[in-house]
Amino acid sequence: MTIRHHPGDELLLAHASGASGEAVSLIVATHLALCPACRGKVAAMEQMGGALLDDIAPAAMDDGALRSVMDRLDDAAAPAAAMLPPSSRPMIAPEPLRSYLGGDFDRVRWIPIGPGVSYRPLLKHSASRVQVIRTAPGAGVGLHTHGGEELTLVLAGGFSDVTGNYRRGDLQTTTPDVLHRPVTDADGYCITLAVTDAPLKFKSPIVGLLGRIFGF
Amino acid sequence: MMAYASLAHDRQLFSPSGLRGARAGMRHRFFGPRAMNDEAKPAAPFNDLLVLVGRARDRRAFEALFAHFAPRIKGYLLRLGAGGAIAEDLAQETMLVIWRKAQLFDATKASASTWIFTIARNLRIDALRRERRPDFDPNDPALVPAEEPEADVLLMRDDDDSRLHEALRNLSPEQAQVVQMSFFADKPHSLIAAELGLPLGTVKSRLRLAMVRIRAALGAAS
Repeated sequence: MTIRHHPGDELLLAHASGASGEAVSLIVATHLALCPACRGKVAAMEQMGGALLDDIAPAAMDDGALRSVMDRLDDAAAPAAAMLPPSSRPMIAPEPLRSYLGGDFDRVRWIPIGPGVSYRPLLKHSASRVQVIRTAPGAGVGLHTHGGEELTLVLAGGFSDVTGNYRRGDLQTTTPDVLHRPVTDADGYCITLAVTDAPLKFKSPIVGLLGRIFGF
Repeated sequence: MMAYASLAHDRQLFSPSGLRGARAGMRHRFFGPRAMNDEAKPAAPFNDLLVLVGRARDRRAFEALFAHFAPRIKGYLLRLGAGGAIAEDLAQETMLVIWRKAQLFDATKASASTWIFTIARNLRIDALRRERRPDFDPNDPALVPAEEPEADVLLMRDDDDSRLHEALRNLSPEQAQVVQMSFFADKPHSLIAAELGLPLGTVKSRLRLAMVRIRAALGAAS
């Protein structure tokens, strides 16, 4: 698997520094599970965080803070990391996405929203919209632009638009100036994780209406 | 940038020779009668202390870690806008989590400062933003491993700390500013750009250049 479309350094750094919200961290971390190169970059960024922590102006702790913490130490060791049972077949959704789905994609109850297109919202409490989208071969999402930034991570299959071809592990970042009509590759269903920080703006009023109804 | 300049002293003591000296003197510095003396702080071999806490539940080693890191964690939280009482509580809580999880620390993959930074970062998100902090699981069978073993982690070398501090100090003021804001402004880069009155593309390219220098200092292929 060769990943050609990576998150920009600013997205990786927002995740590494803790500045990004849950929705962006979910999609970036799911990309990281599929992309050793970006994991290496984030490791360097976290090391930078450690160096900045070393350099920060220390703020005196309250009197008695050390005593208070020492009194609360117990000798219990950290629980060992749970051993995962060996999987009988390859999983499509890596962590952390799998936990948000409640299992792999075969567990997802898809909601149809148009010919060949279904979706499932995740993280409804978030300011951003987070959803998984499944499209049939040849199906498209309709010509649209965005009110804000849209991040799309491919988990299975692939899609193409004016900006290129995207396959498993590829992360597409689109900004409000991009007008695109993603079309699913012919070789099977395409499953993506999508994060938008503002609703999509569809060129077709009917698709736009569907979008407003389904929060697409 | 001010933080970089004011810590020339610490950096000097993080130089390889300083570290070796500190290792040799560890017993004296941390376990002798001068254990908590302020002047013994900077060159501490914190990785070794953290390993001691993990393996031996060593309370003296933990006290030395507390003396160095608790005020810095508190400073980090204040810098990110937490109130004094909350920063104090969270810094104490971070130290408790460090005690509980110390045996998971692997000195070949991260320095003590880096490992502690990630714990403080996650606790802050959990406590102040009341959000989950999704991250990948290195033991997940669905994780795609690196083709070359360990290419996705940085193997720590003894002089990494001094190289990293040196690289941070040598960033241009513009690069240092966006790096600092990335860690301490708690906002996305689009808002950082707006605050600086710069196009987002400029902020992104400054960060990209900064990261090339940092990664070069750490010996990673860019």
